[in-house]
Amino acid sequence: MRAVATVVLVTVAVLVQAVVVQRLPLPWGPGPDLVVAAVAAVALTARPATAAGYGFAAGLAMDLLPPAEHAVGRYALVLCLVAYTAALLRTNTGAQGAVGLRTGLPAVVGATASAALAVGLCYAAVGFVMGDPRVALGAVAVNTGLSTLLTALAAPVVTLPLVRLRDALADSDFATVQGPTSPVGW
Amino acid sequence: MFRDSTRSRLVLLVLVVVCVALLVLDTRPGPDPLTTAGRAAGELVFAPAAAGAGWAGGPAASLYEGLRRGPEAVERVGELEEANAALESELQAARLDEARAAQLEDLLHLSGLGGYEIVPAQAVTRTTSRGYAHAVTLDVGTGSGVRTDMTVVNGDGLVGRVVEAGPRTSTVLLATDATSAVGARLAETRKIGVVNGGSVPGGAESELAFELFDMEAPVESGDRVVTLGSHEGAPFVPGVPVGTVRDVQVSPGALSRLARIDPAVDFAALDVVGVVVAGPAEDPRDSVLPPEPDPEEDQ
Repeated sequence: MRAVATVVLVTVAVLVQAVVVQRLPLPWGPGPDLVVAAVAAVALTARPATAAGYGFAAGLAMDLLPPAEHAVGRYALVLCLVAYTAALLRTNTGAQGAVGLRTGLPAVVGATASAALAVGLCYAAVGFVMGDPRVALGAVAVNTGLSTLLTALAAPVVTLPLVRLRDALADSDFATVQGPTSPVGW
Repeated sequence: MFRDSTRSRLVLLVLVVVCVALLVLDTRPGPDPLTTAGRAAGELVFAPAAAGAGWAGGPAASLYEGLRRGPEAVERVGELEEANAALESELQAARLDEARAAQLEDLLHLSGLGGYEIVPAQAVTRTTSRGYAHAVTLDVGTGSGVRTDMTVVNGDGLVGRVVEAGPRTSTVLLATDATSAVGARLAETRKIGVVNGGSVPGGAESELAFELFDMEAPVESGDRVVTLGSHEGAPFVPGVPVGTVRDVQVSPGALSRLARIDPAVDFAALDVVGVVVAGPAEDPRDSVLPPEPDPEEDQ
């Protein structure tokens, strides 16, 4: 149930990003990245391997949907790594004290903004390694900054409901986040 | 802090390897069957979704258009407020359709002047996911006769070229993209050069930069630039207006002269465009350019 709801909502986020957000004639360039916002929600509530899987699938979908202006696999690689790292940090640091506690709005917005920043920088780094002539310092700063800001603004309406939904569905079958270092107590 | 189970790490490793393999396959020169099939599948989902968004987004687009034109039309708001709400929204929708019709008419006019055979299309994405590439998606593909390396124009001039054509959509690299280079010439003097997207290294910040090969050629602001045309019209057909010279840079010791260009096309408001599926039988020279603006008119 939880997996079905997540797959459906992540798919919706990918389609809305490709069809609606990228259609907006924004004068400054990139819009909010709803895909990062949705994947961040999964990373906050899932095990690292699951989060990496969702990040890979969502990124690959964005690579394959038009416009075909970058190589297939570039966004999938970045989203997969960022989702995995975010989920790993969350399981190994945040979860112990927070058993039974719900993730608050500032934490969700902060995590989404950090994920968006990491995605922006990693995407530029992959472009730099592959010799993309568009990746210049100024362009990276402007695109990453704007995208991070707009994605953070989108977090309360995209990431937070998805985190709450996944928490609510998890409560019924007691599958809370479990890391390799299992939390003390019950 | 970064401790994790071996199985989880293995999953990540497999995913990363798949990503890198795809990257390598897709960046190799020539089309790759795997990524081409993947893109075709993506398009299969995208084309109906984009058509649906276009249909559903009509009222929203008219609202946006109204907001965008708002500041210019403050005095008209008073007039509009007198009309009732239903009439007002109807009026806005009509104005958007009118704008589209006008753009199509301009496009027909330009293609008629140049003798280009065009397929009209609409831009269905205008920004890219990370904002680096200046590329748009059109709602026509190989089904309408569009192939890669075809020139894309609108009623004002050059938009870009087709870099990827799927069955129902195609991707256009805009002339303002950093990787775009268009062979061009000055309108009257026929001196040739290259129009690069973005700023040329060493040049000033601009949307388009014209690199003129002849150091002695007279060029000054206000001169107009048209495409030179490529071999057999691919990727660029001759005679399409590119823009107007804004200012010329004098750089001592350089092998070419740099000029900043004001594009003929408003790239922020791309809507109706045309893909040139067949070039003109002969070079239209300067006939596609609009008549020289009257300097007194600007005063």
